[in-house]
Amino acid sequence: MTHAAQLTAGAVASGGSLGQPVEVVGLTKMFGSVLAVDDLSFTVAPGRVTGFLGPNGAGKTTTLRCLLGLVAPTPGSATIGGKRYDQIGTPIRTVGSALEATGFHPGRSAINHLRIVARSGGVDERRADVTLSLVGLTDSAGRSVGGFSLGMRQRLQLAAALLGDPGVLVLDEPANGLDPEGIAWLRSFLRHLAGEGRTVLVSSHVLSEVEQTVDDVVIIARGHLVRACPLTELTEATHGVVVRTPQLAELTAALAAAPGVTVVPQADGSVVVRGADAAAVGRAALTAQVELHELRAATSDLEQVFLSLTGGATS
Amino acid sequence: MSTATTSAPVSVEHRPRLVSSELLKVTSTKMWLGMLVGVVIFIAIGIASSIFAPEQPGFAQPRLTTPEGIRNLFANAGGAYLFAIIIGALGMTQELRHQTLTSTLLSEPHRNKVTGAKMAAYFVIGAFYGLIGVIVGYAMAFALLPLKEHTDISVTALWQIAGGAILGSGLFAVLGVAVGTLVRNQIAAILGILVWVLVIEQLVVTFLPKIGKWLPGGALAGVLQTTGANGTTYLPIWGGALVLLGYTALFATVAALTTQRRDVT
Ligand SMILES: Nc1ncnc2c1ncn2[C@@H]1O[C@H](COP(=O)(O)OP(=O)(O)O)[C@@H](O)[C@H]1O
Ligand SMILES: [Mg+2]
Repeated sequence: MTHAAQLTAGAVASGGSLGQPVEVVGLTKMFGSVLAVDDLSFTVAPGRVTGFLGPNGAGKTTTLRCLLGLVAPTPGSATIGGKRYDQIGTPIRTVGSALEATGFHPGRSAINHLRIVARSGGVDERRADVTLSLVGLTDSAGRSVGGFSLGMRQRLQLAAALLGDPGVLVLDEPANGLDPEGIAWLRSFLRHLAGEGRTVLVSSHVLSEVEQTVDDVVIIARGHLVRACPLTELTEATHGVVVRTPQLAELTAALAAAPGVTVVPQADGSVVVRGADAAAVGRAALTAQVELHELRAATSDLEQVFLSLTGGATS
Repeated sequence: MSTATTSAPVSVEHRPRLVSSELLKVTSTKMWLGMLVGVVIFIAIGIASSIFAPEQPGFAQPRLTTPEGIRNLFANAGGAYLFAIIIGALGMTQELRHQTLTSTLLSEPHRNKVTGAKMAAYFVIGAFYGLIGVIVGYAMAFALLPLKEHTDISVTALWQIAGGAILGSGLFAVLGVAVGTLVRNQIAAILGILVWVLVIEQLVVTFLPKIGKWLPGGALAGVLQTTGANGTTYLPIWGGALVLLGYTALFATVAALTTQRRDVT
């Protein structure tokens, strides 16, 4: 793929300040009487793609705007490599960001938009051509942004974020408006950037959109932290064994011997066992002489897990 | 910090990066050219009507045969200030309207530096409008004057008017940026400026010159040393310049202070 080749060319230009952690500590933001972010703390590690997830209105954009010095927290702190955004000299060389509700002058060409950002950010203007080709917009360089589709605007935002060849990327809903092909492209792009040791933080309101991209997730709802863990921990929660037995107490006791196994009773009288596969449950039942009426592996939808997590916080 | 070995190094340090970025913002869209056409047309109309307008009985404007009259004619070349203040206000408010302020502040989070750079850039744009206005105005005046009975204008007066027009337009553009910062809504800012400059200030300067000469427009009349109806005079050149500088400094400071901690969402 040509993009991959260009990507490597871009990576060569790396400033060498890769991979700084992002730290959010006790972040709170009130807009008048609206509590947008409520005592939120999490960290984002370098070399990994972190999904910042939550339903619309959860406070993702506000958190990122606090991190980038656009909104003043009330109170709390958000830092990049231990520094507040305004303490980083020529910050776009350290942190590249693309935020929701960031616009373009409709009468300005894509390349000029990037040149303006590069110039004010202390970045060589030739990087404008490099990043435009990285996102596949070279052919539209001279066109006015007013005629761009949503997907093209997203790519242009990404090009702007990459101008300073930053070690930290903060992208707010970058998959919005991209077609499936674009999302696949974005996925390999972000994986590649994290693979180089960069810190990549991407927000989304749909887990499935970034499910194949992220290593870690930070899930928020109503401004609160719901979960911060590796994605695999969430995925594990989707696998289970559905069991039906008249001797639930005996089975639970038998399974309790194995570490990390949980038994979750369901409304229909069955139980879901997590942390063990169907064979292990069957063997345990046999050994303990427990009668089974049903035993099958089941996988629930990851998005369902996400919805139940974020829905739980809103009730 | 190690920089790139490829053809496009990442980092460059050139000091006026913010001002130069602001100037590229202006020249990368067509608006500034449209406004420049406006300057030319506005000044051409001003000169032509000063030369050809019939005398108005009872409300005596000085005639072209008097030193005051000929000076007033050439002072029409200072008309670029109206376009300067408007482009300054547009420059600021369009960052909010098109939501480009976010990328501006991501590149340079120190808001005072951004405001200062914008004001410096618009001073340059305004002064450039002033210069074009002087060239167009003087060319037209010298071309048309032979058609009318007139007295000659001194070279000193020509230099004074040119300097006042250029600096005055530069300062009005800075005022425009400050107004745009304070009013924020583009339409409200432009309407407010038009009503103020073309209606309120004109009325006060004409009918209450004792107050009017202290207003920005009246101060500019002092800088250009024009003479109002029935021989009204305004502040001396240095006085007008000081008042104009004072307004600019005051508005720029208030604008910078209000943007300091405002949330950008
Ligand atoms: N400028 C603002 N003024 C008032 N309320 C705001 C403002 N920006 C965001 N909010 C509110 O803060 C909450 C979080 O919004 P946001 O951070 O945009 O969420 P998300 O990006 O997760 O969809 C919402 O209730 C939203 O209405
Ligand atoms: Mg959002």
